[in-house]
Amino acid sequence: MVGAFDYAPAIVLLPFLSFLVALAGGKYLPKGGAFGGIAATAGSLVLSAWVFLTVSAGNAYNETLYTWVAGAGEETTRLTFGLLLDPLAAMMLLIVSLVALLVHVFSLGYMNDEGETGLPRYYAGLGLFTASMLGFVVADNLLMAFMFFELVGLCSYLLIGFWFRDSGPPSAAKKAFLVTRFGDYFFLVGVVAVFATFGTAKFAGEGAFPVIAEEALAGSAAEVTTFGFAPETWFTILGLLILGGVIGKSAQFPLHTWLPDAMEGPTPVSALIHAATMVAAGVYLVARMYGFYALSPTALGIIALVGGFTALFAATMGVVKREIKQVLAYSTISQYGYMMLGLGAGGYVAASFHLLTHAFFKALLFLGAGAVIIAMHHDEDMWNMGGLKERMPVTYYTFLSGSLALAGIVPFAGFWSKDEVLYEALVHGLGGSPLLLAGYAMGLVAVFFTGFYTFRMVFLTFHGEPRTEVARDPHGVRWNVKGPLVVLGILAATIGFVNMVPVQDLTGIHLEFLHDWLAHGELSALTAEHYGELLHDYAHYTSADVASYVAGAVSLALALAGAGLAHVLYNVPEPTEHTAKLGAVKDLWYNNYYQDEYQIWIATSVVLPLSRLADKFDQGVVDGVVNGVSSVSLFAGSRIRRIQTGVVSNYAALLTLGLTALLVVFGVLGGWFV
Amino acid sequence: MIIEALIAITFVASMAVLLAPNAWAGRLAATLSLLPVVGSLYMWSRFDATGNALTGGTPAFETTVQWLELGGYTLNWHVGVDGIGLPLVVLTTVLTTLAVVSAWASIDDRQSQFYGLMLFMEANLLGVFTALDFFVWFVFWEAVLLPMYFLIGVWGGPRRKYAAIKFFVYTNIASLAMFIGFIALVFGLGDSVSSLDMPAIAGALRAGELGSLYGIPAATLRTVAFVAMFLGFAVKVPIVPFHTWLPDAHVEAPSPVSVMLAGVLLKMGTYALLRFNFTMLPETATQFAAPIALIAVISVIYGAMLALAQQDLKRIVAYSSVSSMGYVILGLIAYTTYGVGGATFQMIAHGLISGLMFMAVGVIYNTTHTRMVGDMSGMADRMPVTTGILVAGAFGYMGLPLMAGFAGEFFIFKGAFESTVHAAMPLFTAVAMFGIVVVAGYLLFAMQRTLFGAFRLETDYEVGPAPISETAPLAVLLVAIIVLGVAPDLFFGMIQNAVDPLLEFGGELS
Repeated sequence: MVGAFDYAPAIVLLPFLSFLVALAGGKYLPKGGAFGGIAATAGSLVLSAWVFLTVSAGNAYNETLYTWVAGAGEETTRLTFGLLLDPLAAMMLLIVSLVALLVHVFSLGYMNDEGETGLPRYYAGLGLFTASMLGFVVADNLLMAFMFFELVGLCSYLLIGFWFRDSGPPSAAKKAFLVTRFGDYFFLVGVVAVFATFGTAKFAGEGAFPVIAEEALAGSAAEVTTFGFAPETWFTILGLLILGGVIGKSAQFPLHTWLPDAMEGPTPVSALIHAATMVAAGVYLVARMYGFYALSPTALGIIALVGGFTALFAATMGVVKREIKQVLAYSTISQYGYMMLGLGAGGYVAASFHLLTHAFFKALLFLGAGAVIIAMHHDEDMWNMGGLKERMPVTYYTFLSGSLALAGIVPFAGFWSKDEVLYEALVHGLGGSPLLLAGYAMGLVAVFFTGFYTFRMVFLTFHGEPRTEVARDPHGVRWNVKGPLVVLGILAATIGFVNMVPVQDLTGIHLEFLHDWLAHGELSALTAEHYGELLHDYAHYTSADVASYVAGAVSLALALAGAGLAHVLYNVPEPTEHTAKLGAVKDLWYNNYYQDEYQIWIATSVVLPLSRLADKFDQGVVDGVVNGVSSVSLFAGSRIRRIQTGVVSNYAALLTLGLTALLVVFGVLGGWFV
Repeated sequence: MIIEALIAITFVASMAVLLAPNAWAGRLAATLSLLPVVGSLYMWSRFDATGNALTGGTPAFETTVQWLELGGYTLNWHVGVDGIGLPLVVLTTVLTTLAVVSAWASIDDRQSQFYGLMLFMEANLLGVFTALDFFVWFVFWEAVLLPMYFLIGVWGGPRRKYAAIKFFVYTNIASLAMFIGFIALVFGLGDSVSSLDMPAIAGALRAGELGSLYGIPAATLRTVAFVAMFLGFAVKVPIVPFHTWLPDAHVEAPSPVSVMLAGVLLKMGTYALLRFNFTMLPETATQFAAPIALIAVISVIYGAMLALAQQDLKRIVAYSSVSSMGYVILGLIAYTTYGVGGATFQMIAHGLISGLMFMAVGVIYNTTHTRMVGDMSGMADRMPVTTGILVAGAFGYMGLPLMAGFAGEFFIFKGAFESTVHAAMPLFTAVAMFGIVVVAGYLLFAMQRTLFGAFRLETDYEVGPAPISETAPLAVLLVAIIVLGVAPDLFFGMIQNAVDPLLEFGGELS
């Protein structure tokens, strides 16, 4: 059974190769190197599937493959790269490589057919992006994860800023990198601190840091350096430091501001960023080291609250947006909030499930939006659309599938996973962790908003009468656009069936395959089963007895209510804006709660003036002293120079005076006059 | 003998270039400068040193020849390289060649003198990084200043005289302080040393053989000498608040000279701090751990803040060097394998990356004749290759993983965080690490404004792709940065080997 694992490094290397090929030879290749990328991601997908099958046979892989720093002797830490392939990683590999492949194909329609220039750069970026994310997914230790996490950030910068000749994209790219960098600062401190605490950063296997942490809390003689804190406190601090990176990358409040701006990038890139790569990286990291987070109820509580709050907060902003991609951007932030809520609430499987379903339906929605944008000649304003349903049926029905999934309407994928996240928050909240109930409440309210903004978007875009000339006669799209849409449309409708807990509870038929998949494995410390024990023993999570179908019915009702309201308001031949009814709230939402304003204010009105002040201080005081010393010596020199007049009689007089003075001094000191 | 050969060849080459006609001095200099490159790479391939050259290790390619007697002290020609010296030797030779090639397009006046001085400087730099006798070392150390003075003062910008004199006087006064400090130590050792051999002096000092001098007790003498040497080297590094000569020198110096200044000359300061203060007086260093770590942190953050305020691309890179050198100091004071080793690695990494940045800024300046951020935008449209490399280099500067800068910084952070020299080291480290956010801030802002957006240029020059003689050195540096980032053990293994013996002293620290 070694076969698949031996080829696993190629999953990462193939897209990297396509990056090199596109970079070096893209301009000589047909389609700017697109086919290389398609071949590479298809190869990754095949290999990922193979790995998936191998893992499902009960195998796992956790090996060091490359020694980055060997370290001298026993005491110094070795820094290594390796592969960790367990059920979670195998699932994520499939998601990433599939979405990446579809995005590559879609790009043929979105970029090549639209006559873009700079395609080699584009495909090189896509290749590197995919490779970085896949490298992150398979990372077997925190340092390697951080390194690929950063490379993911670089790629987002390069691709968001793809249209560098305009002013918007470079600015958005800078913001994306800078805001996530701010989060990554905490992450890096966390990585360094994990090394200092445990002497290792391995995720799994013997002597992995979550294992050591568990032993330390259990009091079984594991040596850890906690810098004077109690181990519980210190582990919580570590968890929160690493969480900084998660909040940045997964666009959680308050570091979510980069994400809506990132819509400046090409739409396929948005699909990749939101569904499978950059934003998913944060949540995946928490899931990857869940054995560590499960030890700290405080960290879990904060994750749940941040997640729940973000879910609601972002959903409200999605309600008033005019551009189709903006709505989707806020929905992404909101949906990742659900995943965080799930993780914080002890729903490891639920969050992973939502990560899975969201990847497909959000990729679908972005690509669908991309198709719409092609049709609309790159106009993204929904108020200029309308009636596209008849004119682009494939796009419409697939987009509808994704929307139903996003809104959480049964039986589409999002319903099952979002419901399970909320269910976990509810049962653990009622089971003695009341903090989680706050997260649950926010998540539940957000369901209504989600249903509303999703169908507002659908109705404005596809229903009613066309509101502009372009919408009356849209630009057609080809197979390379429709193909990926159909694949994802089917997945968005069906992928939720892998885990239908409410149905299982109702009918008694075994239907929770994802639970089974994640619950067991060769690496027992990385299984949902083990996490359950940790949550129970250390975070003191206990489940209350609530029927899952009841909770599911509640959230479904809310989703339908939201969708219904959208139907009433916007599913009319000539919809009008109803946002004015919101009054002052509309301004608040439209301006994103002024989150951008205060962050820009910090940058331009605090940091920049401070740096100018420092510069003035440096020029004036620090350098002033240096120049002052030199002026004093120059001045002194110029004065002393006056003694040297060049007149011989002056020198003679000075000589005589000097000699006399010396004689007097010696006389006094030598006692001649006594 | 290879070290002697290396230095001698470089000296001879500098003389040959000096006498060559201007027309082909640049080509000749580049060709001849390949000899030391080959030599240093050969040394790398044959490198077999173990341990630290100053603390009883065996340096590679060592030669000791008695030279002369002075005031009861034997002066030896004593050279050799250990795992700290060799990477710097390689850095020096490689960077010199690249700087010389990158100068072809921009230096159009008195070329033979220019390239002659560049090679002359290289020869002395090689001496600094290989000398194991204080007298020999000091001669080379001071001799580096002369070519640099002329390179800034003759080929520099409008305020070149001010900058050159400031550089020369400031660093020279600093050398004086350092010299007095060191000689006081030698005298304080009394009869226990009879030469200015650095290993002998280091051994005696680490063995605690320092006595009183002119009635000054040994403890005081050690502290005073430490401070004097620290101040002397601090100017060279430069550490805040002794850094103000640096932006002036960089702004006025022609780009290839900036490359050498930032890439190699600053490393003289950190190298000397490591060799003298941190190797010879470890107890004093750890005693001052808190203040030293503090000024390291201040250098990082304050330097980065200053960079943020600049409008001149070269000043941005210059101040960011101050920031990067702060990391090196933080790593040195950590007294851990990763800390001190990382600091040494960071010297190489920063040498390559800052070299790349200065070179790239120089390429843009040669085309646009301005370096002001506000004077241009959209350069990516006209200079795609240069832009690509500049963006890559900037990300290297920000510490992008799998590039050399990340390796150096991460080693330092790791080593400093787990250091036990002071209880607050984790805190100092965490604060200093915030530099990685600020550096991203100013570089991203500068890139956005100059490279991207619609093309616009305030000066009247035709802008097109840069000549290959300017882009090729950039590409070589970028490749080197990535290779070292992917495989830091190419140097880090030998560095660790040379650094580890320094950590054992007093029996308490390791």
